[in-house]
Amino acid sequence: MSILGVRLDEPGRSVLLTGNEAVARGALEAGIGYASSYPGSPSAEVLGVLAELAGERGFYAEWSVNEKVALEGAAAASFAGLRAICVMKADGLNVALDTLTALSESGTKAGLVVVVSDDPGGHSSVKEEDSRYLGKVAHLVILEPADPQEARDMTVAAFGLSEQLRAPVMLRCVTRVCHAGGNVVLGALPPGPAGRPHFGRQERYITFVAFHGLQEQRLAQARAIGENWPFNAYLGPPEPEILVITAGPGFLYAREAVEVLGLGDRVGILKLGMSWPLPEKFLLRHLKSASKVLFVEEVEPFHEENVGYLVACHLEEVHPLAIYGKKSRHVAGPQGPGLGEIDVDAVIRALAALAGVPHETRSSDYGREARQLVKKMPDRELGFCAGCPHRASFWALKTAIALDGREAVVLGDIGCYTLGLTRSGYFLMQTVHAMGSGVGIADGLGKLGRFGFDQPVIALVGDSTFYHAAVPALINARYNRSRFLLVVLDNETTAMTGHQPHPGMGVTALGEKVPALSVEEVAGALGVPVTVHDPYDVRGTVEVVYRLLRQDGVRVLVLRRTCALVSARERKPRVYVDPERCVGDACGCHRFCSRVFGCPASIWDAARGRAKVDEAVCNGCGVCATLCPQGAIVVEEVG
Amino acid sequence: MSGGPDDLARKVLQPGQCAGCGLCLDLCPYLQVVEEKVVMIHPCGLKEGDCYRVCPRTPTDWEDMDRSVFGAARADHVLGHHREILFARATAPEIAAAGQYGGVVSALIAFALGRGEVRGAVLTAGAPGEMPRPALAENPEEALACAGSKYSAAPSLRALHEAARRGLEPVAVVGRPCQVLAVRKLQRARGLEAHHLAGRKVAWVTGLFCFWALDPAFYAFLRAKTGDARILRVDFSPDSLLVHTDRGLLSEPVDKVRGFVRPACRECFDPTSEFADVAVGSTEYDEAWNTLVVRSERGEALLRAAREAGVIEVKPYPPERLPLLRTAVLNKKLRTLEAQAARGESSHLQLSEGYRRALTGRDQP
Repeated sequence: MSILGVRLDEPGRSVLLTGNEAVARGALEAGIGYASSYPGSPSAEVLGVLAELAGERGFYAEWSVNEKVALEGAAAASFAGLRAICVMKADGLNVALDTLTALSESGTKAGLVVVVSDDPGGHSSVKEEDSRYLGKVAHLVILEPADPQEARDMTVAAFGLSEQLRAPVMLRCVTRVCHAGGNVVLGALPPGPAGRPHFGRQERYITFVAFHGLQEQRLAQARAIGENWPFNAYLGPPEPEILVITAGPGFLYAREAVEVLGLGDRVGILKLGMSWPLPEKFLLRHLKSASKVLFVEEVEPFHEENVGYLVACHLEEVHPLAIYGKKSRHVAGPQGPGLGEIDVDAVIRALAALAGVPHETRSSDYGREARQLVKKMPDRELGFCAGCPHRASFWALKTAIALDGREAVVLGDIGCYTLGLTRSGYFLMQTVHAMGSGVGIADGLGKLGRFGFDQPVIALVGDSTFYHAAVPALINARYNRSRFLLVVLDNETTAMTGHQPHPGMGVTALGEKVPALSVEEVAGALGVPVTVHDPYDVRGTVEVVYRLLRQDGVRVLVLRRTCALVSARERKPRVYVDPERCVGDACGCHRFCSRVFGCPASIWDAARGRAKVDEAVCNGCGVCATLCPQGAIVVEEVG
Repeated sequence: MSGGPDDLARKVLQPGQCAGCGLCLDLCPYLQVVEEKVVMIHPCGLKEGDCYRVCPRTPTDWEDMDRSVFGAARADHVLGHHREILFARATAPEIAAAGQYGGVVSALIAFALGRGEVRGAVLTAGAPGEMPRPALAENPEEALACAGSKYSAAPSLRALHEAARRGLEPVAVVGRPCQVLAVRKLQRARGLEAHHLAGRKVAWVTGLFCFWALDPAFYAFLRAKTGDARILRVDFSPDSLLVHTDRGLLSEPVDKVRGFVRPACRECFDPTSEFADVAVGSTEYDEAWNTLVVRSERGEALLRAAREAGVIEVKPYPPERLPLLRTAVLNKKLRTLEAQAARGESSHLQLSEGYRRALTGRDQP
């Protein structure tokens, strides 16, 4: 799995690619001229790969400041006749939605594919939004690949479909497609983006309510295409007793479940490659032959509801037919129906129940059994990395808030620093919603003084998030005279999604050097006073935060220190505990470094009764050395 | 009497009884200070702690302290152990001028640092009219830079930990009576090696006379009064605050300042640093001299050496002034006993019936 496979110009060759790489490959084969994205898991690697290949393939790629801007840029390319791809996670779709709902009404020209990655189970997300509902709201065609091969195939097909319909097409991928690796048979690579972009004087792309009818016509056209579209497929006996309707990885689970249960002659699988609009005739044809239908999909019962409505409209044709899935509670992961991911076992259980065949699924207790075999396997909490500047920032904030003594309110949002709501951030963070939302909430709280609200308010935001979504709230705060302290936890990168560049870094996705736009330039231009401090200087940071908490109005503190995972590549001092100076449990700190401060590199040497630094984990920040009351931790420059 | 951080928070910090000595700071990362207010930022979870043991405001057996510091019970229930009570002053005019009164404290510290008897001195620095801060002086010049009275509770014993960390030993400590008591409690505590080393490295303790310290809000009050003028010196007469500025002398009735007195100081039982080796204060009589109470053998030896070297001169304490000092101290002690009774909290003072009777002239109610 690598970029080498994505760039390989050998049509017909089968290479191992992740779903994300396969989408990038599909975009290359489609001859895109423009690619844009704001990094978000699980699809952050799509643009990462495209940006690396943009130079040699002659197209443009960028990390945009947010998904709305990314989509508008991609739409522009489409209007000018260049195929464009725009990639975002489900949360990003919410940001871009206003433009997206308009684009499907105004129409587009060259193929515009919007890749939206959903994260069932929230492996790296705060929510598990099912973006298909929003795609439907936006009157979009929604395609759902099941594996990397389909991710490539459907990406290529989506561009054609978009041009046929003159509207954006949405490709919905889930984590198990994005991050899974699979064999992908490559197609041909075009020489480069076709034609010179041009925006004809007579062309119009207007959003206007009168064009609503046009949207519906486009969907009707798509539905007709879907009836015979190869990605909408049926697998199984001609007259199945049970029909499974599925899409995405659910198809793979269903296929395996049928095989495991030996139900190949009783169960048919209808795989929807196009989840919206539904190929109604195709569906009805198979629904008529079955007496039971089981829906297998993630996360919400999207097909179940839409096909359920289709069934209701055609009751006489399909009767008798019973519907099973999430609402009947047959398809459920460990957390229950409609919550989190599903797996093969969940489908096996549902099918076995429907078919009336006994089946013991593999005991889900294997985790517990493994634990019994490996005694003392410690739990591993979510937490900041060793040396993370956020840990120092949160300790300084905790200290300053306690010293201030007025029960400060701490508001956050999405990023590495969301862990501020856990032990790793000393449970400081009190709200988490969307990108930049802590700033808007702070803006609101900061105006409640007229009702006697007198708690200090702190909003936390990451550097990348600052550019993404904090600026309008900051302008509103200044305009409407709010009062709060905005702390920008600036680790000089978009750390959480894999260190993508942002406007403050002075480099673009293509690796070009550009003038950096600092947080203090932006805030300063808004007339908001800005202080910059290094969070590794914990004592100094405490003083600065304490002082700023006592000031009025809107003020910004930038706590700037490069992400430890980045800086440790350049410089990594050796940090160790001097066992002569550490007094172990005789110290009043009660194992501060390993137990309270919580850096994963700080451990307790039970045999010696002393603190210890796990040098394999340590990133050399040395903050623990500044906090140890005995001065027992030594920081030594290496090399 | 043992206790932990929870007890410290409940009995000392929350009721405003912290004297701000600074000794608990830096024993752990959980006690921090801002504007002379000590705050516990995180519950460490220990049942017992050095913070509780060394705090001058946790239960303290007064007579037991006498025995551990001086090896004997006190004869004088008001002024504590004393070998001599004198008027004293620095002979060097520049030291005398730098000091608040006779410059005795500065002279003794500079002398000891200069002779190498101590390698560091735990002091309090800060310009007149500004919030003071802990200082660790390593030479006479640095010590002299700290001359002059400070009127709020700088947590200057932090510098004792700093000295221990830097391996600077032995050190001299100059402190308020509460700080003297804290150092003595540290010195006699047993069991926790590292922190006690700091206590054992204290060669001697010079205590100050102190009837109260002010909240740092006093400095804002001062700035408001003085405006743009530069504050050269702050002093108190029995009934006035006196502020010498580059634009002249400002005077305010002392009543206007009383509101700034640190609540903990209203329950102070020791205005004359009873557990110090030597205690130094004003004379309330002659600004060119200090009152010097020589309490311990160590203090006596230090004074002898300083006199032999000619850096300190002394004269007898005027006999007619002694009752005034005694009355002032006794009244402070009695006010404290009343204040504690009124607050209804269990007192940090553990006094025997005999001592209490000797002081009040009556049995405990």
